[in-house]
Amino acid sequence: MDVADEEQSRRRWLTYLLGTSLGASFVSFLYPVLRFIVPPVTSEPSLSDIELDVKASDILPNSGRIVPFSGKPVILFRTAAGELKALTATCTHLACTVQYRGDRSDVWCACHNGVYDTNGTNISGPPPKPLTKLDVAVRGDRVVIRRA
Amino acid sequence: MSSGGPEGRAAAARLSPAAWLRDRIGWDGIAHLAAKKEVPIHRYTIFYYLGGMALFLFLVQVATGILLLLYYRPSATEAFESVQYIMAEVPFGWLIRSIHSWGANLFVGVVVLHMASVFFLKAYRAPREMTWISGALLLFIALGFGFSGYLLPWNTLAFFATKVGTDVPAQLPGIGPLLSRILRGGSDVTGATLSRFYGIHVAILPAITTLLLGVHLVLVQQKGMSVPPSLERKKPRAMKFVPDFLLRDMVGWMIAVGLLAGLAAFLPWELGQKAEPFSSAPAGIRPEWYFLSMFQFLKYLPAEIAGIPGELLGVLFFGALAAVLVLVPLLDRKASLGRPSPWWNRLALVAIAGALVLTVLALLPPPGQVKP
Amino acid sequence: MTRRLAVFAALFAGALAAPAGPPTPTPPSTAVAAIGCVDCHLALADARVSPPAKLFADDIHARSGFTCASCHGGDPRTEDQELAHDPRKGFRGKPSPKDIPALCGTCHADAAAMKHFNPSERVDQLAEYRTSSHGKALLRGDESVATCASCHGAHGILPVKDVRSPVYPTRIAQTCNRCHGDATLMAAHKLPSDVYAKYSKSVHFEALMKKGDLSSPTCNSCHGNHGAAPPQVGSVSNVCGTCHTVFAEQFKASPHWEAFAEMGLPGCVTCHENHDIVHPTDAFLSAGKDGKCVTCHEAATEGARSAAAMYEDILALKKETDAAKAALRREAEAGMLVARAQFDLSRADEALTKARADVHLFQPYAVQQTVAGGLTIARTARAEAVRSGRERDFRRKGLIVSLALIGLSIAALVAKIRDLDRRKPPGP
Repeated sequence: MDVADEEQSRRRWLTYLLGTSLGASFVSFLYPVLRFIVPPVTSEPSLSDIELDVKASDILPNSGRIVPFSGKPVILFRTAAGELKALTATCTHLACTVQYRGDRSDVWCACHNGVYDTNGTNISGPPPKPLTKLDVAVRGDRVVIRRA
Repeated sequence: MSSGGPEGRAAAARLSPAAWLRDRIGWDGIAHLAAKKEVPIHRYTIFYYLGGMALFLFLVQVATGILLLLYYRPSATEAFESVQYIMAEVPFGWLIRSIHSWGANLFVGVVVLHMASVFFLKAYRAPREMTWISGALLLFIALGFGFSGYLLPWNTLAFFATKVGTDVPAQLPGIGPLLSRILRGGSDVTGATLSRFYGIHVAILPAITTLLLGVHLVLVQQKGMSVPPSLERKKPRAMKFVPDFLLRDMVGWMIAVGLLAGLAAFLPWELGQKAEPFSSAPAGIRPEWYFLSMFQFLKYLPAEIAGIPGELLGVLFFGALAAVLVLVPLLDRKASLGRPSPWWNRLALVAIAGALVLTVLALLPPPGQVKP
Repeated sequence: MTRRLAVFAALFAGALAAPAGPPTPTPPSTAVAAIGCVDCHLALADARVSPPAKLFADDIHARSGFTCASCHGGDPRTEDQELAHDPRKGFRGKPSPKDIPALCGTCHADAAAMKHFNPSERVDQLAEYRTSSHGKALLRGDESVATCASCHGAHGILPVKDVRSPVYPTRIAQTCNRCHGDATLMAAHKLPSDVYAKYSKSVHFEALMKKGDLSSPTCNSCHGNHGAAPPQVGSVSNVCGTCHTVFAEQFKASPHWEAFAEMGLPGCVTCHENHDIVHPTDAFLSAGKDGKCVTCHEAATEGARSAAAMYEDILALKKETDAAKAALRREAEAGMLVARAQFDLSRADEALTKARADVHLFQPYAVQQTVAGGLTIARTARAEAVRSGRERDFRRKGLIVSLALIGLSIAALVAKIRDLDRRKPPGP
């Protein structure tokens, strides 16, 4: 009788162990799946347009800033007349990042004094090619950039 | 059996919810069948695990695939970015994606091993011919899953591999170009191809698989496990499927899960570069390993043999091989009679050896190049 | 034979009989078919008189209605040779080199004349030419120097914008080289004859000829077009500075500006050469064989120490940036996504470019500042790589937990299997 009892308890124990370990494993599989299903905070980076973490009202007239767009820098600026524009910010000369000059209302590369106008055309200095224009739109109060 | 009369209803009122459910879906009948299922024990029993492993891996693919569906976008402009997003931003996205990619390769490998073991153990002989035929078709579907899924991340490697791959059917006379057009959704590999492959991968093939796999599994249950001819007379012992074989199956499945998780963490599946359709193909484009032997074979064919394009002959040859593969049980009469069929075995060994050699050759760098 | 003699005689006569000054070319008031000259001259087999006629068909002056007689005088409407070559009709034959500038200048230095054809065309070329080394030598009687025809051609003159023109930007250097590469000719003028060979090794040559950047300088960019003369020692940095503005400004603000002026050193050329301007390397700052600073600054002087300090700073930034790039690349290859960090790291490359530019201030402090900024960026990127590595390790740790649970499950399964087997009755 005792041996049989021992056997019984041993069997129960084994079944319990099996159930628990399988259950725990299953939970360890379920945890990443559940976390996967909940969408992350950052919005989906689609290539058609990218909503920036920038409010349109933050960009004052005659000022600009560099923002990332698909891993590349883009110069987003507002002209003195109030129009929002965006150009690729990699200088076509030696790949320095350009900046917006409010006093001259142009786009300037500090490395070798390359100058572009607000349409991206290379007007002075070493740059051999213009900067690419990008479409800018305002959704709510966030700025959205899109390839032209 | 509960009847529909007053006693039956009275009886039903006393059933627990679990028992009520069991009764309504006929669980007892299924449980009875499952309890009856037995697996013969002999020196080749280990190969019986391969079928269940293939099924398990298929289910892993379905589960991870469904999860990926929640974030993947099947358009040429967004596909790559969506996969990148899954890898970088989605919690455990890297895990799900790598498991799906590694799982695909493991799945195809296990399916091939399963088929090979069934072949050499002659399990295709009567009365199991239809099981084999449905299984061979399932193999082609598995390869179809692999081929269509490979394109979905829309990276350079996949793009050009698909270009090369869809060029092959174009070789066939008459219907070839039409077939290629249907596959590609156009004359070239474009976003239309991506849409089409996506539809094939998540809808068409799964639907066909459901039917075929259903048939295959039902047949397996109907006919029971086959014992190799040499051991048939000995009438080996059997173990019960539930719980003995199933528990052993689960050991294998757990090992597979661990392996997949390990691969995902230590050898994550690469993302590569986004496909640029107008750029030229980079050097070293090749399809996934399960297509390499055919890919390499086609390279060795001369441009023309007796006036017929070499590639066409290659394609026709593969078609013939596929047909033979499907029809093995009908062609191998001896096996049906329970007699050894050594020539079939030798043919299979030659084919396997050839495929292995070709695969190795395809993996070597071209002559004159330093191995990277 | 007679005819040839006659032509010869006419030319000779024309040369002798021609008035001392240049004739007034006939403006093309009517589009008279001046085929008289071309017809005869094409038919003649003499290599001195038929090629010009062939070439003139492509000439831009021909397109504007000018004829042979516009420059050579004579009567183009007659087929009679003597009448055609009549000195009384202004025929002057082949002008001598010393007459050519003034001949071309009759139109090209006259604003009113040029307005008929190309109102925006400049008219100061002749004035410039007179200031040039060529012009001055010509005045002194040296007829071996370049005149208008030497570079522009005499008969198949194409606009400068025409790719086939000998003065199209990509062809100017070869045109100059026709004389400036002639050792004997150059020796007579005490000039080097290897200038083209040197120029073809330069970055400007590569940019112009191989990369097709037409804004890259060739001979005329620094020496002037018509007023061709080497820049004075003191104006070298101004000339280079027309394009390299940043460096010129920095150089002017540096201690080298006055020092070089005092010593009569030619500005930028001192370190960068004038014709074989190669791509500068960081080694220019070093004390090795490529070092430029050490050619003047002896070891252990303040100058040498400054050079060494700048060299070390720039090398440090390069090293740190390269290390960060490699670390991030490793993370990217391991499946981690570090695109943002790589994006931020590109600013370090910019800092390196700026630091190399700041060298021209010849103040180690300036370079140090720029390098410090770049180092911060590179170090941040490296920290990102480290963070990514830690995330990767976290994944592996998470994996170990899962694997442990799986292992436990497998052990439990195996134990259960064994237990069930033991409880089975012995098989048949």
